[in-house]
Amino acid sequence: MLELIDLTKTYQGRGRTVTALDRLSLQVDAGELVCVVGPSGCGKTTLLRCVAGLLPYEGQVRVAGRPVTGPPEHTAVVFQEYGRSLFPWLTVRQNVELPLKEKGLDRARRTELVTESLEAVGLAGAHDAHPWQLSGGMQQRVAIARAVAYEPSLLLMDEPFAAVDAQTRADLEDLILRLWQRLEMTVLFITHDIDEAVYLGRRVIVLSASPTTVLEDLKIDLPAERDQLTTRSLPRFAELRGHVYAQIQRTKQ
Amino acid sequence: MRVVNALAVPLLLVGVWWLVSGGSFYLPSPGRVAAAFAETWFSERVLTDVLPSLARLAAGYTLAGVIGVGLGVAIGLSSGLRAAAEPVLEFFRAVPPPVLVPLIMLFAGIDNAMKVAVIVSGCVWPILLNTVEGVRAIDEVLADTCKLYGVRLRHLVLRSASPQIMAGLRQALSIGIILMVISEMFASSSGLGFTIVLFQRGFQIAEMWSGIVLLGLIGWGLSLVFRMVEKRVLAWYHRA
Ligand SMILES: Nc1ncnc2c1ncn2[C@@H]1O[C@H](COP(=O)(O)OP(=O)(O)OP(=O)(O)O)[C@@H](O)[C@H]1O
Ligand SMILES: [Mg+2]
Repeated sequence: MLELIDLTKTYQGRGRTVTALDRLSLQVDAGELVCVVGPSGCGKTTLLRCVAGLLPYEGQVRVAGRPVTGPPEHTAVVFQEYGRSLFPWLTVRQNVELPLKEKGLDRARRTELVTESLEAVGLAGAHDAHPWQLSGGMQQRVAIARAVAYEPSLLLMDEPFAAVDAQTRADLEDLILRLWQRLEMTVLFITHDIDEAVYLGRRVIVLSASPTTVLEDLKIDLPAERDQLTTRSLPRFAELRGHVYAQIQRTKQ
Repeated sequence: MRVVNALAVPLLLVGVWWLVSGGSFYLPSPGRVAAAFAETWFSERVLTDVLPSLARLAAGYTLAGVIGVGLGVAIGLSSGLRAAAEPVLEFFRAVPPPVLVPLIMLFAGIDNAMKVAVIVSGCVWPILLNTVEGVRAIDEVLADTCKLYGVRLRHLVLRSASPQIMAGLRQALSIGIILMVISEMFASSSGLGFTIVLFQRGFQIAEMWSGIVLLGLIGWGLSLVFRMVEKRVLAWYHRA
């Protein structure tokens, strides 16, 4: 589904050149849920923007077999700056609905998807609010609802739960797992939370510090059915978490 | 209470005017100007002078809006165009619009087309420059979101730049009114500016003053309408 071969991204600034990604290679099969962790500033957002066709790059990026030159079809993104990704002049409902309109869905189907996705993120009562009337966490959930209502085959998420409380975060994690299983989409999930990466991911990719490559591609051999309480208290969970933690510590040296 | 507040200063001004005017030839009393106003403007002058003026203003302003926003969006979206156009734009913005009147007269004659051209030539710059600025300030993340979901640019650009576009339109409105009058003072046979000059030359001082009052009222009314439109268009922006 997703293939990165020797992906390199260099930012040219005035007098400052940053090699954010350095010959990074990665494969994600269709229907996989892969989490990416790495130290702050290592290039996670850069990686995601290259895959989303929003940045020029060197090397190869292919989505569903096609080289990425612009935003690939059937792809949705939840940006790290989720608040800025919402249209301030539209209501919550219109924000979620707009991409569906552009997709050419009929009104009945759109209403169904909007209602369903807003309910799923716990915003059933906020249809007619404007984004600026919502808290940061609520805005983030609107961005998530918009992405899942789009029914993408590839969903890219950049620290999507950073602004919500622990309880909502757990709910949203389980929501993503449910949607992922139901819609059979491929998910690339960026997070700085190691627990979250191990809980959600079928694989966890650990990135090195800049210039960034894949430090480790770790298979998460936990039972397929995840549950906030039982999964997190498994000894294997603690082992995996400890392993990823140690890896990330290593990147800092 | 609000009505009293709103009326207090105007009433005070009229009072001062009344006190100062006592018997002066060049400054008739409010009563005389009011009488002249009714006599002068509640007549067929509305058709022969006021409406033509307003029609030319409307035509010039609309044309400037279309040109300014259209070019502004194009220049704002293309960094190449911007680099080429920006110094020229700043120059034209700095030229005081009234000095263009004699020049435009050479090209466009002295009829309606000239007056509309004068209004356009003054109004277009603030609209254009503000639009460029508004388009440039479009949020990058929002632009990426549009690319990603295939949302047409039209939806993003005009809405996103609308606060700056409206600011440009507001500046252009007052410039437009000024130019409407000035273009009629140069070479004309009808219009508000023409009539006021005519009264002044004929020493019909109260009538001249009533024309000035009418211009003030028109300006005030138009800005009121503008504010109402702006409030609707930018509701999301002012509360955000
Ligand atoms: N537009 C840009 N111009 C220049 N340098 C940039 C730009 N965007 C990112 N960088 C640099 O690229 C590197 C990676 O940035 P990126 O935003 O991808 O990191 P990140 O892993 O997402 O960090 P975080 O976890 O804090 O979100 C950083 O060193 C950053 O300074
Ligand atoms: Mg980031």
